Amino acid sequence: MIRTLKASFVESSGRERTHGIVDENTYKELLGPWDNLESPHLETQGIVPQSDDGVIVAKGTIDEQPAVVISIEGNYQGGGIGEVSGAKIAGGLEMALKDCEAGVKTIPVLVFDTGGVRLQEANYGLLSIAEICAAIVALKRYVPVIAVIPGKIGAFGGMSITAGLCSAIIMTREGRLGLNGPEVIEYEAGIREFDSKDRPLIWGTIGGEQRTGSGFADLLIEDDTEAIKETITSIIKDDSNLVHRTEQVERYEAFLHLIDPKHRLSSDKVRLLWDQSEHAMVESKSTILEGDQTIGRGKRWFDLLRGDALEIGDVPSVRVADSMIGEKKVRLIAVVPDAQNRFPRARKGEVGLQEGWSIAKHVQEVIKADKNSKKRAIVAIVDVPSQAYGYHEELLGIHQACAAAVDAYASARLNGHPVISFIPGNAISGAFLSHGMQANRLIALRDDGVNVHVMSKQAAARITQRSLEELEEATKKVSAMAYDIESFKQLGALFSLVDVVEADTPCEKDRAVIYQEIERAIEDVWMDRSSDLSVRLTSSFAQSGRAASILVREKLNEQWN
Amino acid sequence: MERMTYTFPATKRMNRFVHVGVVGSGDLEILIEPTDQSHTEVTIRTGVTGYKNTWKSVVQRFFTQHDVAAKVKINDFGATPGVVKLRLEQALEVIANDSYIKS
Repeated sequence: MIRTLKASFVESSGRERTHGIVDENTYKELLGPWDNLESPHLETQGIVPQSDDGVIVAKGTIDEQPAVVISIEGNYQGGGIGEVSGAKIAGGLEMALKDCEAGVKTIPVLVFDTGGVRLQEANYGLLSIAEICAAIVALKRYVPVIAVIPGKIGAFGGMSITAGLCSAIIMTREGRLGLNGPEVIEYEAGIREFDSKDRPLIWGTIGGEQRTGSGFADLLIEDDTEAIKETITSIIKDDSNLVHRTEQVERYEAFLHLIDPKHRLSSDKVRLLWDQSEHAMVESKSTILEGDQTIGRGKRWFDLLRGDALEIGDVPSVRVADSMIGEKKVRLIAVVPDAQNRFPRARKGEVGLQEGWSIAKHVQEVIKADKNSKKRAIVAIVDVPSQAYGYHEELLGIHQACAAAVDAYASARLNGHPVISFIPGNAISGAFLSHGMQANRLIALRDDGVNVHVMSKQAAARITQRSLEELEEATKKVSAMAYDIESFKQLGALFSLVDVVEADTPCEKDRAVIYQEIERAIEDVWMDRSSDLSVRLTSSFAQSGRAASILVREKLNEQWN
Repeated sequence: MERMTYTFPATKRMNRFVHVGVVGSGDLEILIEPTDQSHTEVTIRTGVTGYKNTWKSVVQRFFTQHDVAAKVKINDFGATPGVVKLRLEQALEVIANDSYIKS
């Protein structure tokens, strides 16, 4: 029979999309509208909640293979990830992981339509996205994790990082994939960097066709529900051709080396360079790591903690050293400002393209080196103002660089390396997700200069259409919206909050305190039999601070079989 | 945000949950749940304030014309009265297609 009428996948609602993928007679929605598990944080802020919080979790089979399809409804709050919606995604993936560990191959399919974190629930979104990342990395060891980015909104913010982690990315021409949306870049970097009204520019940078052409997505297909299901089925049947992008550090390094950021690159040129990068080699040259005196807290603490240990990093903005804390071998990694950074948008300590890939490289190195020996600890020193906002950053796939860093840290954790984050400064947004959030344990300083959040107050106020005063008022009601570390502590993710005399100019006395905390954290990881992030939900603060995240998981567990 | 509740007498029972729509710009979500009561209770939450009278007329007219005993929840994101009526009709259509209005 010749099919003449195509059913549009892009025009379908989030729920209709799941019906298009799951075999109809096996379809079962978990935590659907009838469960009425809506966001507990929106009504107090004057926003009408939705009965499913904008995420549809559908279990069943795809061409007779057990699967869970998780779809985000882009029309509700821009597909933003809040506490409930985030927990539904993470929880659904965690249940699929449980199945896989028990020998039942359950294929996870994620249908993206999201702008990233829902700003009204800020740090809940951030924590959820870290948990989604962790689940994807763990699942990839058993099954392919399939991402579909059909279009309308696309996949942005932290959720673009989760897409970058997936085994396969399917896009249509209408799909978009990028870390920072066009408006955000224009706001942060100016209209000369990115004109958010320039549609051809947007599609040429982050659109489905460009992404597939430049190696950031696997398949570009027609907007046809049946074709999408067929493509998913074919990936499930044969996933041997899939190349995990996050593991291709060398290729992406070579790719970045071919680029001269002084000149504005065109979309076509990027595709050409991507093809060339397959056979390109990076000449190893010794990097001069000194020369930048504009150091911040991250660098100061890195130097203090490293002591006499030699630096082994290869880009000036990512400092790496192998050192000892007590009797324990550790690798220290810090992202620091570099005023001469090749990529101008990453000169103030932001996590950019080079930084993401360099972190990935140095973490993967440790996993490889310690394969048959005692797994050394990895300590991420976190003082990051944000991810880098720029045209080249998006064009060259900063979300993928971040995903590579996330994947490396998460894999190290799963392989038994204690991964510890020490936060003496800012831990913000995509930068924190990439560098720090995958750690087994988080240690922060109790200090006004330590902030955790997803967006600067000015930008957050603008996007949620409130005045700064209204935003401040809202942060009093929802601790996840606040920026200070005390509020973050209420969410239960911190292992410890340390009082140190001098956060800005630490001395040896302070070092001793932090050494002790890091050692305590490493020992705690050794004692713990789980290598996932579940400790963040079992802590005493989490029982009240993340009650909804816990409830969603309990209910999913009840409804799963 | 505004919250309103209205109650109307009703006799026809239904036996299944119905869900239509999305809390998206200019749209709304409607959840209809069966009840043993002999009335319909409509709870409305809307982000657009100051339209109480309009809401009352729209739902009153609808549930006077359609006899369904149920708990109705409406989550609104600025739908016009026409859209509200269409979504309510859609919900009843879903019920009718599954033929589960029992008199």
